Amino acid sequence: MHWPWEQAKESLSEELEAHLQMSIAERVADGEDPAQARAAALRELGNVPLIEDVTRERWGWIWLENILHDTRYALRQLRRAPAFTATALLTLAFGIGANLGVFRLLYAVILAELPIPHPEEVVRIHAARTPFDQSWTISYPAYQRLRAATPDVPLMATAYIVEDAKLELPNRASINASCTPVSDNYFSVLGVTPAAGRLFIQADASQAQGEWPAVLRYDFARNTFGSAGQAVGQHMLLNGRSFVVIGVAHRRFLGDITGHAPDIWLPLELQSTGAFSFSWDSLGPGHDVSLDKPWYNQPTIFWLALTARVPPERRAAVLAHWDQVFRNDREVMTEATADPAVKTALLHVKTGVAPLSENGMRKRFTVPLTILMALSASIFLVGCLNLANLQLARLHAREHELSVRMALGASRGRLIRQVVLEDALLLAGGSLCAFVLGRAASGILVRWVSNRNALFTLDLHPNLPLAALGAGLMLLSLLCFSILPAVIAIRTGVGQTAGSRAKVAGISQTARQRLRSNVLLGTQVSLSLLLSTMSACFAATLVHWETVDVGMDREHVLIVRPELHQPRYTDHSEMLPELYSLIQDRLQALPGVRSAAVEMCGGIHCGWITALYVHGRNNLTDAQVHGQEDHVGIGFFHTLGIPILRGRDFSSSDTDKAQRVAIINRAYARQLFGDADPIGQLVGYEPALNDHKFLIVGEVADAHVNGAEREAPPVVYMSINQSPAPVNSIRVRAVGDPRQLSDSVRHALYEVDPALPVSEIVPLATELDGDLGTEKLLARLAGVYASLTLLLVAIGFYGVMSSRTTRRKSEFGIRLALGATRGHIQRLIIGQTARILLAGILPGAILSILAVRAASHFLYGSVSANSLAIIAASVVLAIAGSIATIIPARRAAFADPLETLRSE
Amino acid sequence: MTEATKYQNRIDLLQGTLDMLVLQALLREPMHGYAIAQVIRSRSGEVFTVETGSLYPALHRLERQKWVKSEWKLTESKQRAKFYQITALGKKQLTADHRRWLELVRAIGAVMEPEVQP
Repeated sequence: MHWPWEQAKESLSEELEAHLQMSIAERVADGEDPAQARAAALRELGNVPLIEDVTRERWGWIWLENILHDTRYALRQLRRAPAFTATALLTLAFGIGANLGVFRLLYAVILAELPIPHPEEVVRIHAARTPFDQSWTISYPAYQRLRAATPDVPLMATAYIVEDAKLELPNRASINASCTPVSDNYFSVLGVTPAAGRLFIQADASQAQGEWPAVLRYDFARNTFGSAGQAVGQHMLLNGRSFVVIGVAHRRFLGDITGHAPDIWLPLELQSTGAFSFSWDSLGPGHDVSLDKPWYNQPTIFWLALTARVPPERRAAVLAHWDQVFRNDREVMTEATADPAVKTALLHVKTGVAPLSENGMRKRFTVPLTILMALSASIFLVGCLNLANLQLARLHAREHELSVRMALGASRGRLIRQVVLEDALLLAGGSLCAFVLGRAASGILVRWVSNRNALFTLDLHPNLPLAALGAGLMLLSLLCFSILPAVIAIRTGVGQTAGSRAKVAGISQTARQRLRSNVLLGTQVSLSLLLSTMSACFAATLVHWETVDVGMDREHVLIVRPELHQPRYTDHSEMLPELYSLIQDRLQALPGVRSAAVEMCGGIHCGWITALYVHGRNNLTDAQVHGQEDHVGIGFFHTLGIPILRGRDFSSSDTDKAQRVAIINRAYARQLFGDADPIGQLVGYEPALNDHKFLIVGEVADAHVNGAEREAPPVVYMSINQSPAPVNSIRVRAVGDPRQLSDSVRHALYEVDPALPVSEIVPLATELDGDLGTEKLLARLAGVYASLTLLLVAIGFYGVMSSRTTRRKSEFGIRLALGATRGHIQRLIIGQTARILLAGILPGAILSILAVRAASHFLYGSVSANSLAIIAASVVLAIAGSIATIIPARRAAFADPLETLRSE
Repeated sequence: MTEATKYQNRIDLLQGTLDMLVLQALLREPMHGYAIAQVIRSRSGEVFTVETGSLYPALHRLERQKWVKSEWKLTESKQRAKFYQITALGKKQLTADHRRWLELVRAIGAVMEPEVQP
């Protein structure tokens, strides 16, 4: 291919050639000898390349040509220094990529607003906290009353997300889908538009036909049906009920709770089918609640969260009006407590609003993500400093070439431009890698941060702030590692050394230049010490939570999840104790099994909030009576490795005909009885008159059943045999590695009941570790960063020291000739590294101490443990720096002095 | 100031005049560069020798300003050459240049030979 100016250039040459030919022809015609004529014509024509140059300048686009020229030159230069090019590309890719990746996550979790019109108008309505879960949910009748009271204010209700509904499609294996039941006006309140089909309308709520309507999330529709359009009109079974897809929500709409995007939206009214188990709260046992019946006319089942679109200026009036309407419901709620203080407080609560952004995700991740953003910024800075230093060293090495070019008339601007262009090319390449890397990184980060079971779904589409950050980082890095070094080098270096070859004893590198590169290296050392320390602390924290004593035998317990929520079992719950006993016997007969037991809870974070009132004591506050409840089978404590402190375990004599018994843990016992012996005390779910249903027969040690990093809650355990119900897990304690038991356990259960499906078998350790999303994210990413900066620092030392030793080659030659030993030379160079390391490590340590203090909330470990991390990181850094220096030092020391001096 | 800019200034001084001479040479018929140099030299009575180093930059500049346009053609002696032709814009420019030149000559004359003035 020919550039247009190549053509123009050829044309110009041809024009001048024609001129020459005509001149010769005329001279020959005048009778001159052809050879002489040619010589004379050429003399007359003058310096052809110069004429071409000057002529071309008249064209006005010479600059473009120059840039292309410079680009080609730059590419050649980069190819000639592959190590530098690779380092620069990698540094930029990681430095910018890491920032983009983390920022994308940060933006999606913390900064992004819902992709709806006027998101600031949409607020959560907090009417009252439910008695036990303390969640802001209300009953269906209350919702209808509030909605009717203010017909002009869009008010919608949502139930909690149902994580694992079973979705069956014709001719396909069933999958798990998460569903959110919403009121008919959900999409219209938010202002969400459909990507295909239609969204819910009022008629959908009252439909009593065979098929329920469903709206799908865009990506879910695409993954399941191929496209949004194809999804519409599809029929499917959800938990055995038939549904038809009426529409698909807008592409960017992922639900109203950040991170928890449901796959399917369903009408609230399908609660009446009883096919889905929703999260709920009520006034507690003894109050009139029929969970099996439809909830829409039960004012004491609290299950709906409210969201409304109210402009800020109308809020006060609307809320006051709702307060009046809600007054009755609030009075109903006070029945749940015997604590007069709580009762009064409940009645005085005013309905309030909270922004949508005030959610668990934001609360949980703001600080960790900010820490990560700061770490990412530091790694970017380290990368830039490193490149700046390498660049200075590189320019220094090219000093001679540059000064010759300047002497030949190259303008300073052109030289700077060439150098900057080289870096711009690097930057372009690096940024391209960075964008790809950043994209991949945010996906990986989301996976790291998510819990084992629930992957967060976040909107990670590129957005304007992200692009701005990317562009800003690119410019900043260009300025840092390219423009400034080039300006510095050309201002100070080139002019002074032009033409001079007197390079003995390091004259060519002034003290200022050395100081500058030392400061750059030292800063890198400080920052990477910071990153390494943080990484060590986060890693130690993760290890701590992964190995801390949780009050249970975490390494040997297997959680088996059977599917007992089927009519076969639920309709004959009186048969369940026998089944449990069969299962337990069969499992305990397996080789390698120490014991087995059933438990209502399926995993961690599962016990439900309850209240225990003590017979004969009426002065207990809500804070004392509230705790967590779980129903377990015989041998549960032995299976989990929870020690029984006083009294006894449940036994086979605790049947539904005998005295109801309970076992409480130390935390609950302390809450209710202080240090007194709880054995023999009578307790009940309700205050006086109904406060003696259970006899406490045992006290067990505390266990961290809500996750390793959370406090051990107060728990009361009841016997599953006294109130038979389907359990969610069977726990098996193994002698050795529990993983190896999976197959035999599955097989044994099949033998006991071939019709009983087992959905999952996981070790308790996995379940507990899966809960450490934040800790894992911090530890892993900080680890990646720390190793990257170590690498960068090593490269930095290697690069700078190599260039220095090369420059001082003749000096070393003279020293060796004068009697210095090779050891002297090596010590000289390594001494420099040692001073830089020391100068970097001291401020780095101070920085680390401050950072550790700032992040202390996420760190487990004492001050001394963290100082140990600082010392360890310093040692690792020092080793990395020294190794990187030894190579050029040895090269310098073992060079032949004669050879070196001769080459001068 | 670098060498390059000094050189540039020297051309600039000549430029106005040279442009005018070139445009004038082209007024009658299209010509190639060599012919333009010859015409200027012969018409000036062999006084002006237009250097190629000045001529071609001037021609290309004139072309860029759309005062002349060019075309590759064969000469009578079958030599391929680039012929320049004055444009309407060029003619206007020539008139302006010519007027300015006459004024300049008159002014210089008035300074150099004051006794001729009435």
